[in-house]
Amino acid sequence: MAQLPPARAATTEDFLAQSGPELAALCTACGACFNACPMVDHLDLRGADPQATTDGLRRLATGQSAPQETVSWVGACTKSGLCVTACPEQSAGLNAMLLVRIAKQRALNATRQLPAKQDPTLFPRLKVYARLQLSDEELNTWL
Amino acid sequence: MALTEDRVTFWFGCNMLRHAEMIRLSIMLLERAGYDVNTVGGPAYCCGTAHDHQLHAASNMAGRTVSRFNEAAEKDGRGMVVTWCPSCHMHMSDIMAPGNAARFDIAHITELLADRADRLVPLLKVPVRRRVLLHRHMGFATHVAVNDRVASLLSRIEGLVLVEGPAHPGHMCSALATVPGALKKAASETWSAAIANHVDTVCTIFHPCHRELVVLDGRNDIGVRNWVQLVAEAMGVNASDAYRDWRKGAAPDIAAIERADPSRYQSLVEPEIRNAPILPADN
Repeated sequence: MAQLPPARAATTEDFLAQSGPELAALCTACGACFNACPMVDHLDLRGADPQATTDGLRRLATGQSAPQETVSWVGACTKSGLCVTACPEQSAGLNAMLLVRIAKQRALNATRQLPAKQDPTLFPRLKVYARLQLSDEELNTWL
Repeated sequence: MALTEDRVTFWFGCNMLRHAEMIRLSIMLLERAGYDVNTVGGPAYCCGTAHDHQLHAASNMAGRTVSRFNEAAEKDGRGMVVTWCPSCHMHMSDIMAPGNAARFDIAHITELLADRADRLVPLLKVPVRRRVLLHRHMGFATHVAVNDRVASLLSRIEGLVLVEGPAHPGHMCSALATVPGALKKAASETWSAAIANHVDTVCTIFHPCHRELVVLDGRNDIGVRNWVQLVAEAMGVNASDAYRDWRKGAAPDIAAIERADPSRYQSLVEPEIRNAPILPADN
């Protein structure tokens, strides 16, 4: 059970815009998060330079384009979370998983180095599943 | 209305709508643990985590959902939001709350149930004679020790022998689906571990893992159950699984399809439930 953190911005969009540069400023591009990430093997990126790849992480978080290795890596984040404890700057307030998440968003929306993937059928499909299984009362009160 | 720790909002997320029985069992377990539960979920309570490519829309979704939970806290005394989905939980903790003034606390369902195990254990009267491998992911541990919580609950069931499976990357199977080969590797390792450990049941923790593995139910004489189904079974409660039955070839009844709209069922649901299993039969 956890108390949620206090608001630091008026919207999540504002919070992410503010946090990207803040987290990037804490990052030293040491490569520890990259080295700890289990997805690196899946992507066949173990030979990539960890420092250069994580320097790209800082670049993306501030809206600048990054090397392809960085883009591939952040695009494959599965939230394993091993980067969080591997990061030597965690005690200084650096949440490495959040930094990767923001970098991925920037690669999607700012530098456009990642293609947008969306499934427009997701919500319509879920509504069909709901109508297949939920009672009228559940439909009215849960959704 | 004053906040009380027993009045909670159960936020089941979006994709759990495939598994209505698991939502109902979750509510039952929370109620039997002494909580007064109001249940919400679906697209109207979207956290926005799946919409990284539409930041403004995702931000609006997050703001709307936080507002609804604030209202539940202020008007209905429900100061605790109880999550099921680790994506929703992490998104609320890391992104939604810092960008919106959240006036409620958050807990995962396994935390509340494990904390009130003293109320639940006396209800676990039916021995469940299963040797169970727990399908685990490493990811959500940054926020909640969910693997330990589920193992703790299952270990209280008489007759049930628990074997911890390999800890896979990601926070749940759906996260792995975007990385070539990762999902199949996780499923294959779980199933191989199940065979090697001579279990008769694979237990899933989260819904996307259940969605992927449940189609394998019965293969190698190994069943697939979610943890809420096993706890319910120990309470003598029938734990049916329509999604499993559909994935294994059954279809929803005609009246349900009529209610859902046959054309939408055929275009949106049928392709998913008839999709090939993640592991081929000779795996």
